[in-house]
Amino acid sequence: MLFNSFNFALFLPVVFILYWFVTNKSLRLQNILLLSASYFFYSCWDWRFLFLLIFSTLLDYFSGLQIEKSNNSFQRKFWFWLSIIVNLGFLGLFKYFNFFTESFKDLLSIFGFQVNMWSLKVILPIGISFYTFHGLSYVIDIYKKRIKAEKNFVDYAVFVSFFPLLVAGPIERATHLLPQIKKKRTFDYQQAVDGLRQILWGLFKKIVIADNCAIHANMIFNNSAEYSGSTLLIGAVFFAFQIYGDFSGYSDIALGVSRLFGIELLQNFSFPYFSRDIAEFWRRWHISLSSWFKDYLYIPLGGSKGGMWMQIKNTFIVFLVSGFWHGANWTFIVWGLLNAIYFLPLLIFNKNRDHIEIVAYHTILPSFKEFLLICTTFTLTVFAWIFFRANDLHHAFQFISGIFSKSLFSLPSIRPTYVILLVLFFIIIEWLGRKNKYALEKLAFQYSSYFRWSMYIILIMAIFIFGAKEQEFIYFQF
Amino acid sequence: MFALVFFILDKIFYIFLYTAPQLEADKRLELLLNGKINKELIVMGSSRGAYNIVASQIEKETGKSAYNISYAGSSVQFQLFLFKTLLKFNKKPETIILSIDNPSEFLHEKTLSFRYDRLYPLEKYNYINDELIKQNDKSKLSWFLCLGRVNKSNLNFTKKNAAADSPILACGSMPFIRDSDKKEITFNLKKERYPIEQELKGKREAFLELEQICHANSIKLIYCFAPNFRVYNPALENRIKSISIPENKFFVYDTTNLSYKNKEYFHDDSHLNIKGAKLFTSELSKFINLNNNKILKE
Repeated sequence: MLFNSFNFALFLPVVFILYWFVTNKSLRLQNILLLSASYFFYSCWDWRFLFLLIFSTLLDYFSGLQIEKSNNSFQRKFWFWLSIIVNLGFLGLFKYFNFFTESFKDLLSIFGFQVNMWSLKVILPIGISFYTFHGLSYVIDIYKKRIKAEKNFVDYAVFVSFFPLLVAGPIERATHLLPQIKKKRTFDYQQAVDGLRQILWGLFKKIVIADNCAIHANMIFNNSAEYSGSTLLIGAVFFAFQIYGDFSGYSDIALGVSRLFGIELLQNFSFPYFSRDIAEFWRRWHISLSSWFKDYLYIPLGGSKGGMWMQIKNTFIVFLVSGFWHGANWTFIVWGLLNAIYFLPLLIFNKNRDHIEIVAYHTILPSFKEFLLICTTFTLTVFAWIFFRANDLHHAFQFISGIFSKSLFSLPSIRPTYVILLVLFFIIIEWLGRKNKYALEKLAFQYSSYFRWSMYIILIMAIFIFGAKEQEFIYFQF
Repeated sequence: MFALVFFILDKIFYIFLYTAPQLEADKRLELLLNGKINKELIVMGSSRGAYNIVASQIEKETGKSAYNISYAGSSVQFQLFLFKTLLKFNKKPETIILSIDNPSEFLHEKTLSFRYDRLYPLEKYNYINDELIKQNDKSKLSWFLCLGRVNKSNLNFTKKNAAADSPILACGSMPFIRDSDKKEITFNLKKERYPIEQELKGKREAFLELEQICHANSIKLIYCFAPNFRVYNPALENRIKSISIPENKFFVYDTTNLSYKNKEYFHDDSHLNIKGAKLFTSELSKFINLNNNKILKE
């Protein structure tokens, strides 16, 4: 069930009431309730893949215990690699099997060989990339002796399957989430209200911004050969806001829902489109994934130790793998590669940690230089998003060559005024709230509560009025 | 307290729902909902029905009361919805003339869809809201909240006008009374294979359901094939004959009439202008009279 569906609007209050009014006396019962609710939530998508989720959970749970229990280095390695191989094996099978067979077939055809490769007709289990990475980080941390294995299966299973983050993250760490699961939660009114506020903002981003941008982005991308350069450019910009509104909106809802249950999840987005360079962008976009790759891929590969070439090589590997994580298509790999290329000059000139603080922290507006940097970074990311959205490489190159034509300077044929105004309104609110965890967190706190209520009511009205037909969250396909 | 304030403010939006139907130029669906389309003969379909068949002419030529509830750009699923609405709120007609989109009736065609935009102005009617919920266009929250029913298009009080070159007549038809600055059209001599493997199950099922409802209610069904500015391809006609009930009638325009190869009778390559529509409608009226006489004799 989607977060912005009627079914979820029924599901959430029921779980909330049971959590705080029925099971609140017992932490064990509360966790069992969370686990049951999470499995129910997941099975509403496709009950058949619930078994895969439970299997993956059991595998990592037992592997963790065995790794910790083993005194013998061979046994530790055995359980470690068993968990890694099986988890990545399932991910590879469901997500990448057909990609590899098709790519191999194409490669052979270049050399004149025509083969009929067997392809799998499988549905991608929803959230597999996310919960697999949860489990992997847990097992790796135990192997590296950073954490102790969790002995309580229910607690561990809640960590893997907690329903707000199950299907599209954020990718949590055992060190952050497990202690909260194991600790008694008490109802905090302010925390719950803050959670509701974040849910509201997430719904606005998803339903108003992302879904309305999606209508036009889809129309332009699906018929790209028919449109002028300026229209294609506007389509790419709409997609940039679609993916941001969609994914960060979902994350906001996930974080907000978790707060209703007294649990704090990791922040996943921090106003990435206000970034002044690509390095800052990647510190602010899908933070949980970037930090996962940094901790479990970049650093084990050597990180920045071993000189500049090592650092460049490892950076490229991380971006390529990140691209590949997003999908089984060469377009995602090229998207990752582009981002690595953008990153390269910052690495070489040691400028990748230039912009750590929040932009224009002490002023209302950015300086001219900051504004230029923001626009440049945004343009680079929009260009890369073209590959992310395109059906294949040919489509992406055709789209780009369509943009860079004489018709780039003509008036776009698609100019939905209301969407453009909504996006501008959204940018303003995000800018005003950029110093907080999410835009609405402390917005207008200096004014009376009636003013804030009016603001919230306007947002709710906008959600209803501008609510386009339900579009699925993009990141569910990962 | 916040919820109470919101609930009260929500009710203010009923103003938009209340005024929306009055601002519409095309009031045919509302007439259907209010039981005001009690005719013996109903024309249905997409733009081929709306622009090519003049219901008032059929009335004059057959002596049967007639009305046209065709909607340009509508899919067969939308036509099925209209038909069910007609039967629910109005007197059952004797005959349905269903204008067929040749060859797109069962195929994916981006210009044919479920016309949600025709339903949005009528959201104040629970029947319409329920249909939108059934179509997953609205959530069940719209049962309780006016905001759940309001659309962007409702948020203005501007009266809409019908298209100047195809106004809605009193009989519901919308023939092209004047030609626009059209592109040069060329008579197409190609006959393409009908791609039966590309048929959409949903469209075919809706079509068959419409047929079954007619049969169950003893309503005569005439499948009407209007001319395009191209050579006639009987592939879809044959396909429908293979799945249709034998008692249904098939009316195809006179393919030997040279007027249908003359662009002076066409607005574009898929639609007739008023001259062409009058010609086509007179053929259809003759067909209806012939069939009625046959039945009388029987």
